[in-house]
Amino acid sequence: MGPLIPNGIISGDWNFVIALLLGIAFGFILEASGFSSSRNIVGVFYGYNFVVLRVFFTAVIVAMVGFLYFDYFGWLDLDKIFILPTYLSPMIAGSVIMGFGFVLGGFCPGTSYTAIAIGKIDGLVFSIGLFLGIFIFSEIFPLFKDFYYSGYLGNVTLSDVTGIPAAWFAFAFTIIALAAFWITMLIEKRVRKNIKEYKF
Amino acid sequence: MKKNTITKNRPHYINPYLGGVLLGLLVILTVYITGRGLGASGAVKSAVATTVDVVAPNNAESNPYISKFISDDHSPMYNWLVFESLGIFFGGLLSGILFGRVKKPWVEKSPKITSKTRLIAALAGGILFGIGSQFGRGCSSGAALSGSSTFSLGGVIVMLALFGTGYAIAWLFKKLWI
Amino acid sequence: MNRNYFILTVLMLVLATGTLFLKQEPKRKQIKPEDLLYEIIQPTRYVTTDQIARIIIEKDPTLELVDVRDAKSYDQFALPNAINIPTDSLLSPNYQDYFGIPGMKVVFYSNDDILADQAWVLTRRMGINETYVMKGGLNHWIETIIQPKEPPEDAPYTAFEQYQFRKGAQMYFTGAKVDNTSQKKKKVIVKRRKKETAVAGGC
Repeated sequence: MGPLIPNGIISGDWNFVIALLLGIAFGFILEASGFSSSRNIVGVFYGYNFVVLRVFFTAVIVAMVGFLYFDYFGWLDLDKIFILPTYLSPMIAGSVIMGFGFVLGGFCPGTSYTAIAIGKIDGLVFSIGLFLGIFIFSEIFPLFKDFYYSGYLGNVTLSDVTGIPAAWFAFAFTIIALAAFWITMLIEKRVRKNIKEYKF
Repeated sequence: MKKNTITKNRPHYINPYLGGVLLGLLVILTVYITGRGLGASGAVKSAVATTVDVVAPNNAESNPYISKFISDDHSPMYNWLVFESLGIFFGGLLSGILFGRVKKPWVEKSPKITSKTRLIAALAGGILFGIGSQFGRGCSSGAALSGSSTFSLGGVIVMLALFGTGYAIAWLFKKLWI
Repeated sequence: MNRNYFILTVLMLVLATGTLFLKQEPKRKQIKPEDLLYEIIQPTRYVTTDQIARIIIEKDPTLELVDVRDAKSYDQFALPNAINIPTDSLLSPNYQDYFGIPGMKVVFYSNDDILADQAWVLTRRMGINETYVMKGGLNHWIETIIQPKEPPEDAPYTAFEQYQFRKGAQMYFTGAKVDNTSQKKKKVIVKRRKKETAVAGGC
């Protein structure tokens, strides 16, 4: 049955209305979880606030497991959904750059929009930075064109590459995430004892 | 809004695991309806393409990266991710109003640094994130979250490399935060 | 609070473990009986012998002719470049790679419509798109292409045009007959199906 729009069950005319509604839900969840605050977000790297890890990993394992059940019950055809293509080396390089941006800026694009919404100037400045960054990228793109397209492996999933069924990955991610939740709960308690300046 | 009472209270957030479950269900719903995941940096890319196209149309057409996103039919802003990102903004605003977190513009920062330092770091972070997201084919929501959830190899790579780098370099910028 | 988290942890573990026991064999996209009936009534699956002749002459690489008769009949006579998949081996995994290649049109034929039609229904049931049936089968092929009849004097102009084409096709197929038999034995290159990713997008 699903995906609904590619299968023509919902007309493509509704695309932008749906985009807006899904975006509102996304923004609401991000803000309500505390992602509109950069200090909450980067807490994951210093051990005083693991909200990013909790929300992010819970979302990933719920979605992974959910997709498998949706596929099993025939509600969603996993062969028809968009699989992010893999460009090995540029993706690793890009993620390292993003990692620097993450620790410096304290936001990622989606969370910076919610930060603007509640009046954070740092969120606005981060978004301006994003704009400039992508502009700079487009200007230097010819220099990096070959690199940008290198390491292409296609729209592959973990199962395509390893031959291991997706369910095992969902299972492994779940185990890792659940273990991480319990461990970080302990870490957070200990770290917070030693931090006086930050109000939680 | 009742600003006075709210600014004194500490921010009240929903349980992170509840947020995670909701976000996971939202990813499923999004893919179920549209066949693809959520995203955020794509909207800025459209904004860049539009700006370049308006300010310097010749430049836009000759630029091999931007010209990919420009067509004669419609503006690059007429794009799924742009509407979705508008939604993110309004969703954040809605939540901010409901939980009483909307304030006059202010800068959130560690008490150890000045606002100026914070803003410079935010700008630098944004620029790096912007460049990185293009090489990475998406940001933390598009590639890491939606990509990993759909078992994409690239999504998992972005997730691991992004957070791995974060942990590896966090001590360098400790002063910015705590 | 910790007790609730414990319950949630167990719940998530159970759900994740459950996915391991879901049926993992690849599922065929199956067509609904109503849709299948609708398609069976529709004549859209039929292509005429003229169309096939034209496509063969133009050497259109997107055409894949499948002879669903038994191997003996196939050896006696077959259309150029047709491959032989007898109806009883249609489900054999050896032949699955011929079907469902994006952009390829599979056309079944037999002596008449019946075997080819059955093959077509079977492939539709398996969820394979872009399969067709050559209307009238080889019998009609002989009548129209190999031994075309001149239309009566009062026939419309198009009938004469068609006759002209058929005469040409007759020359092509009977004149190239010697070629055919050697061509037929050539190994047909199997194109493997690629995984379909329908929607593009990203962050």
